[in-house]
Amino acid sequence: MMDVKRLISKIERNYIKSNLLKEERIDERGLWEYRDFKIRSDIISSAEGSADVSLGDTRIITGLKYEVGEPFPDIPDEGVCTVMAELLPVASPLFERGPPDEQSIELARVVDRGIRHADCVQTKKLCIKENEAVYILFVDLYVINYGGNLIDAGGVSALTTLISAHIPEGKIEDGALEWTGNYITGETIINELPLVMTYGKIDEIVFLDPSLPEELVSDGKLSISVTENKITSIQKSGAATFSFDEIKMLCKKSLELGKNLRKEFDLWQYKYKPTI
Amino acid sequence: MPLVIKDEYPKKLFRDDGKRLDGRDVDELRPIKMEVGVIKNADGSAYLEWGNNKIFAAVYGPREVHPHHLSKPDRGILRVFYRMATFSVFDRKRPAPGRREKEISMIIADCLEPVLFLELYPGTCFEVFIEVMDADGGTRCASTTVAALALADAGIPMKSLVSSVAVGKIDGKKIVDLSGIEDKAGEADLPCAITWYNEEISLLQFDGDMNLDEMNEFLKLIKESLEKIHQIQLNTLKSKYLELKEESAKKEESKAKKGEN
Amino acid sequence: MMEDEESSPEEYDEYDDDNDEDSREIVVPGEVLTEEVNKFLPGRGTILNTEKNKIVSLNIGLKQIKRNYINVIPLRGFYTPRPGDKVIALVIDKNPVKYRCDINAKDLAVLKPKNAMKKSKIRGIRGSNASREEMSTDKFDIGDILVVKIISADRLNQPELTTIGKYLGKKTGGIVITIDPPKIPRVIGRSGSMIKMLKNLTNSNIFVTQNGRIWLKGEDIAHERILIKAIHKIEQEAHTVGLTDRIQEFIINEKEKRGIK
Repeated sequence: MMDVKRLISKIERNYIKSNLLKEERIDERGLWEYRDFKIRSDIISSAEGSADVSLGDTRIITGLKYEVGEPFPDIPDEGVCTVMAELLPVASPLFERGPPDEQSIELARVVDRGIRHADCVQTKKLCIKENEAVYILFVDLYVINYGGNLIDAGGVSALTTLISAHIPEGKIEDGALEWTGNYITGETIINELPLVMTYGKIDEIVFLDPSLPEELVSDGKLSISVTENKITSIQKSGAATFSFDEIKMLCKKSLELGKNLRKEFDLWQYKYKPTI
Repeated sequence: MPLVIKDEYPKKLFRDDGKRLDGRDVDELRPIKMEVGVIKNADGSAYLEWGNNKIFAAVYGPREVHPHHLSKPDRGILRVFYRMATFSVFDRKRPAPGRREKEISMIIADCLEPVLFLELYPGTCFEVFIEVMDADGGTRCASTTVAALALADAGIPMKSLVSSVAVGKIDGKKIVDLSGIEDKAGEADLPCAITWYNEEISLLQFDGDMNLDEMNEFLKLIKESLEKIHQIQLNTLKSKYLELKEESAKKEESKAKKGEN
Repeated sequence: MMEDEESSPEEYDEYDDDNDEDSREIVVPGEVLTEEVNKFLPGRGTILNTEKNKIVSLNIGLKQIKRNYINVIPLRGFYTPRPGDKVIALVIDKNPVKYRCDINAKDLAVLKPKNAMKKSKIRGIRGSNASREEMSTDKFDIGDILVVKIISADRLNQPELTTIGKYLGKKTGGIVITIDPPKIPRVIGRSGSMIKMLKNLTNSNIFVTQNGRIWLKGEDIAHERILIKAIHKIEQEAHTVGLTDRIQEFIINEKEKRGIK
């Protein structure tokens, strides 16, 4: 029943700011702490890989579908993986129906770049026959509830979906495309485990994983994707500016956080488990 | 074009032991699980698993109508938006809403409207968003069922709930609750919904062929199944509160006993 | 200025009334409450069906019998503005002649400058005592939180507000949370017992209004967090018995866990 253009009241803005200055947040987290992650995989029977990920109140369901088609002429032996995202109107009175808007495009592109530049998906393994047939993977994210910080939840959701993959393996026999009876799984195609960390900034304070009220009050955001040892992509959005020192600090922090999260998640437990 | 043609029509839709391909009897429903209040931001919400179907419904309203010219000065309007996720079907669906989704949105809206009191909310709208995450036959019936729950969860006054299920004919036999493969390969499909306050039908479609006797038999089969669905909806709405209520009543009893001692 | 809002006699807690005989049964839309239509009359949240042989619930709620009326106290619902209600408004827009405010209802509400001035300035010949500045919309800004009273509200027009009156006006500091409007009486409690306990145990100022919004300010964020958790717990368990005691226990435990007084 809220007006669609939700406004943050002055007292809420002041409340969040003044408490952040004291390093206090309403949900009792520290400045560099994530809300709780909940991860489930392979939950969609029609998809060849899927994940249901919650980060605090934010919830994203992602599914993987594939098609077989001709490769791009400049990469004749590589398949393709594309990411799409929709901010469903069920998820918030702030989301309207219609084609993807700026926010959904940002979510899709930041998650996509985090995966792509980490060499996460080995596109050469998605080749059936050079120049003729490759896999085109579609990783589609649907936001079910918006509680702030879609990007980090989206990143985990997309990665878990790819890890859970079970794509029918094809071969060309006598000019026709056939199923070998086996599946190409996440173990075959996934090489790296990139994770993305998003930081909000209000005045001079920087903090990890903005919840919805914090996100609406933030002047800007910085998202950093990392693998175990490398930084693979960065996106700054919003009108805030970040100092050189802040950026260096956040890159270092992201690598540390990434290592800890990977241990905690143990993402390979979400790989495809065939039911006999 | 996907690699594996999953949808090859099987030659028989009944097994040698007389059961359907998924092991059910002709009058058996698939396993159904429902939950309300699953989407915090929505005014009302519900989630349903019905066989392999997985569907969310969220209600927003009463709220202002966008675009404004659609609003009615003397009553509220009900808008339903049924959408399927790209990965909800075997052959990836294009993201943009298609004609089938628009048709289903309309019939679900027409089906739910009779239980609402729209004349009490002039100039505003109730919007029901239905998102199908996984589809396997009977999604319009499952969607209607879960949408009715979401409306109740939103605290919108309703004359009663609405329940929906499909009956049909496969290999000459009448069955209840068609799965995806039975829908595609069968001979008749009759989705139907009932508004319980007057026990009348508010959603009805049919594809196939049948004679008048068969129609009468179908309508009888449907009523029994609809009652089962209704019972699950009622239990879902109540169970959210009953658990807590019982717990707290027990605590009060034990406190009173301690007080006596 | 520290306020101490006393709950007025009308704002009693419908959930905690010992005079009910058949209270606390959870009912759902369409459920038959009674067929003895000669003995009982349809009250709040109920309807007499068209054949006039049953009284039926319109909402998910608690069945209550008061004298010969059957009521359903809703467990879920949205706020409908009524004249005399005190609500918390958020100013979302203004132009030179009025403020437009969000009051968590289907319509935006209007606050006119004449209803935002102090009473003493309005007295007198129109135009001569009230200066032009006072008839403009300079007093409040977009983003301000105001405690207002509803002067008028009907089906067809936008509700009108006033900030003239005791405890009304702009709030500085503190935070506003929103809960399900039907649960508000539970936060106040019978004769204000719940809200008094909340205030004392958390050393906070609390202002509870009819549109589900609650303004609160504690001595520090640690107390405010516990208070917010306690209010959400009341919202979840509003339909249970012994709630005031359980919430008291909850707050004491939470304070101990964090080592605060």
